[in-house]
Amino acid sequence: MSERSNPRADWERGAIAADLRRLLRDSDVVDAPAELHTFAYDASFLTQLSPRVPDAAVIARSVEDVQRVLRYADERGIPVTPRGASTGQAGGSVALIGGIVLSLNAMNRVLEIDVPNMQVICEPGVVHAQLNERLAPHGLLFPPDPGSSRMATVGGMASTNAHGMRAVKYGPTSAWVLGLDVVLAGGELIETGSAGSRAKQSSAGLELTKLFVGSEGTLGVVTRLRLKLMPVPPARAIVLALFDVLENAGEAVQAVYRAGISPSAIEILDERCIRAVNLYRPNIELLPVEALILVEVDGNPPGVRWDAETIVDVVRPLAREAKWSDDARHIAALWEARSLVGAAVGTLRPGSNRAYCGEDLCVPVARIPETLRAIQDISARHGIPIATYGHIGGGGLHPGHLIDGRDPDEIRRVLLVADEIHDLALRMGGTTTGEHGVGAARAGYMEREHGPALDVMRRLKRALDPRGIMNPGTIFPDDLPTLPVELPLAHPVGEPAQATLDPG
Amino acid sequence: MIERRFPDDVKASPATAHGARVPLLEREYGNLLSCVRCGLCLTSCPTYVLTGHEAESPRGRVATMRALAEGRLALTPDLVQHQESCLVCDACTAVCPAGVHMDPLQVALRTTLTERRPPSRIRRSLRTLVYRGLFGDLGRLRVALQLPRWYQRLGIAALARRSGLLRALRLSHLEALLPPMPDAFVVPRGETYPGQSGGARTDTVALFAGCVMSTALAPIDRATIRVLQRAGCDVVNPAGQQCCGALHAHGGDATAARALARRNIVAFGGCGDATVVVNAAGCGAMLKDYPHYFADDAAWSARARAFAARVRDVTEFLAPRSLPYTRAVPRVVTLQDACHLAHAQRITDAPRALLRAVPGIELRDMGESGLCCGSAGVYNVTHPDQATRLQQRKLDHALATGASVIATTNPGCLLQLRAGLAERGRDVVVKHVVELLDEATAP
Repeated sequence: MSERSNPRADWERGAIAADLRRLLRDSDVVDAPAELHTFAYDASFLTQLSPRVPDAAVIARSVEDVQRVLRYADERGIPVTPRGASTGQAGGSVALIGGIVLSLNAMNRVLEIDVPNMQVICEPGVVHAQLNERLAPHGLLFPPDPGSSRMATVGGMASTNAHGMRAVKYGPTSAWVLGLDVVLAGGELIETGSAGSRAKQSSAGLELTKLFVGSEGTLGVVTRLRLKLMPVPPARAIVLALFDVLENAGEAVQAVYRAGISPSAIEILDERCIRAVNLYRPNIELLPVEALILVEVDGNPPGVRWDAETIVDVVRPLAREAKWSDDARHIAALWEARSLVGAAVGTLRPGSNRAYCGEDLCVPVARIPETLRAIQDISARHGIPIATYGHIGGGGLHPGHLIDGRDPDEIRRVLLVADEIHDLALRMGGTTTGEHGVGAARAGYMEREHGPALDVMRRLKRALDPRGIMNPGTIFPDDLPTLPVELPLAHPVGEPAQATLDPG
Repeated sequence: MIERRFPDDVKASPATAHGARVPLLEREYGNLLSCVRCGLCLTSCPTYVLTGHEAESPRGRVATMRALAEGRLALTPDLVQHQESCLVCDACTAVCPAGVHMDPLQVALRTTLTERRPPSRIRRSLRTLVYRGLFGDLGRLRVALQLPRWYQRLGIAALARRSGLLRALRLSHLEALLPPMPDAFVVPRGETYPGQSGGARTDTVALFAGCVMSTALAPIDRATIRVLQRAGCDVVNPAGQQCCGALHAHGGDATAARALARRNIVAFGGCGDATVVVNAAGCGAMLKDYPHYFADDAAWSARARAFAARVRDVTEFLAPRSLPYTRAVPRVVTLQDACHLAHAQRITDAPRALLRAVPGIELRDMGESGLCCGSAGVYNVTHPDQATRLQQRKLDHALATGASVIATTNPGCLLQLRAGLAERGRDVVVKHVVELLDEATAP
């Protein structure tokens, strides 16, 4: 049973739910066993292996709900983990050591679209794609665009400082957050980014907004966001370039920048990802090459055309094929394929599952080809197929490991693979997480990644959350216990996964 | 917001690790394990969209089923409630990049529930009277439907409505779904309707008449036959065919579903390899899924596969063909994507192409077209509150297009939307796509 690993006794857990019911609407407090189980995971492999069932969950409907829960939890020293859509891949939105999961996805109102000042005020549970659908009629855009746009909440994006494909030109979420309402441990509500302000910039004091963005719920709970917007670019084009040699793809990116162009996205797919796209969306018909890159440019129509033609010119000598298109449907189809490839790589090995671990390294752009080769080497050494894609313009790479989820030895090996990938990222002069966040999965690498700076983070955390109730176990390795592993049922239930990636 | 009222006849029993096994789910274990929990399904799911509650999402349902299969959770009341509130609309299946298939999971779970639950009187009578009785045999259904026919004919209906009796018995919602009974049903007797080829080659097709389509909605079956004839097809109506069994399977009676499937496979075995044309999306999805029900049955699996390969939705069959239009239908039309066409069969272009080809029709797409209308088999009977919220949401989107006709491809959607429109007093009509084709090709 998953409850086994929870240190709290049954009576204690019942008491927490009963207390919460006195503070909140009865129906917004969750303590039924199967319901609690649905708060035990995110998209990480870590929570596939170790679901973390909370003692209770709360569906917050207002900032007052959040304040009541935090005041109560702080008095009793009960951990609180804020949660959006739980689409994270690092275990940052689950109750790692028990306590209360505070779900914010029902706080999903767009409160005000301030068109002349180009900003939007919204609650944290708004789903990213739905926010942009609401903004589109006003010709406005919130540009950070994670692959999980259709399910991730803007609150979660701020908490993890999500980037997405267009971050290479427009920057991460932090560049677009002007202010936040945050409830601190203990229940105090503050507004960052100058209280009541609608200014688009400010030099007034410490930038608290940036402190909370990316803090993964370890410093407070975001209950409202003031986001900066931009006009929707009137034109867009995409260049598709295919390479027989991986290193040429890296060279091509350098050539694009040398030509004086700032693309709005540059993505790379390796040979296995190309095969996965062809399996998942056969009508796209990509050539089977070692790597492809997708380069998107946006702006005014003649400029976009010049950019696209220039990119084709400079890339063509390095590529098997390079062509551009400004057909909206073609662009949408290629981006859809790109954003779904992460989950679709599973089709490469029938019966296998993608394991999201060691999935988010970021290395210096110039070392990407070298890193990709090293990942292939790790893959071969451990016998775990890996399909890699990522933001080659910014250095972010997402290796997708395919394992037979019922084979304990493959589970053991994929964890070694993840560890070696994190190690590789740091050796290359990069980071263990380019955009997904630390969560619990990467907390163990923070000491090595930050050195003495981690201790400054600790001191900040203690100043804001002296009792340590805010999402313990995330980012800071100190609170993280060894999590018990719950293996799936072993074979022979159903068919085993194929032994190799290449059938026949 | 979800109403937290758990079914009271399922008693929580403590789970023992790897103890209380659920063999039917274990057979779907690979399906369960392929969920990588990316969450892409969340915003496609009607019940999650309504509640925002993870337990009401496909990801949540798959997670709790997996935990159940692993013996980490038991059949607790909350687990059962959230599984049973699934519409089995397969919207999640259609968007899942990892290939999780919800329909067989729900069939496995619900069949398990049927086996494990204390047999309450209501549930047992539902099973014997409705599933195995009424929908277990088309002949019996036709006889039984004489009752509502007389109810409507003799003026009892008007009386019952006026007197407030229906409301008192909490039947007004059910009664609103009941269509006016046609004068005559379509009775499959093996008859053939000759194609009007106009010199071109004629194909032979076999009509899957359907239980609701051949009785309460018989005019749609007739329109289907006429349009197929005009498209140059000889239409055979094989004797002995039955209800497809989808209601049974999704209601947790896989045994009855399998029995009906066998009878259909036999009935349609008599007309060679003729294409089986079906005008009810829910039935089409089930017929195409027959092989799944016989995966472990050596004697029937090959026959089920051969049969399923012949099945085409009527829009799928007609879209590539040219129809002899005789008149314009000057109407603004919006298409209600039936879940079992759009998601389960992945057919969204064919009905649109057919409607656009009709002279005079202006097709306008509605918002959230992929979200279920709440009909979902018997869902509007078992979960009236959720079903009504989805119905209203669907109607808001449909009416916002300014269309005067809502076209659909499934009897459940058709009745659900008609009931909602009648309540709103709107003169917008709901028609099956083939009814519009029939009108445009009438001599």
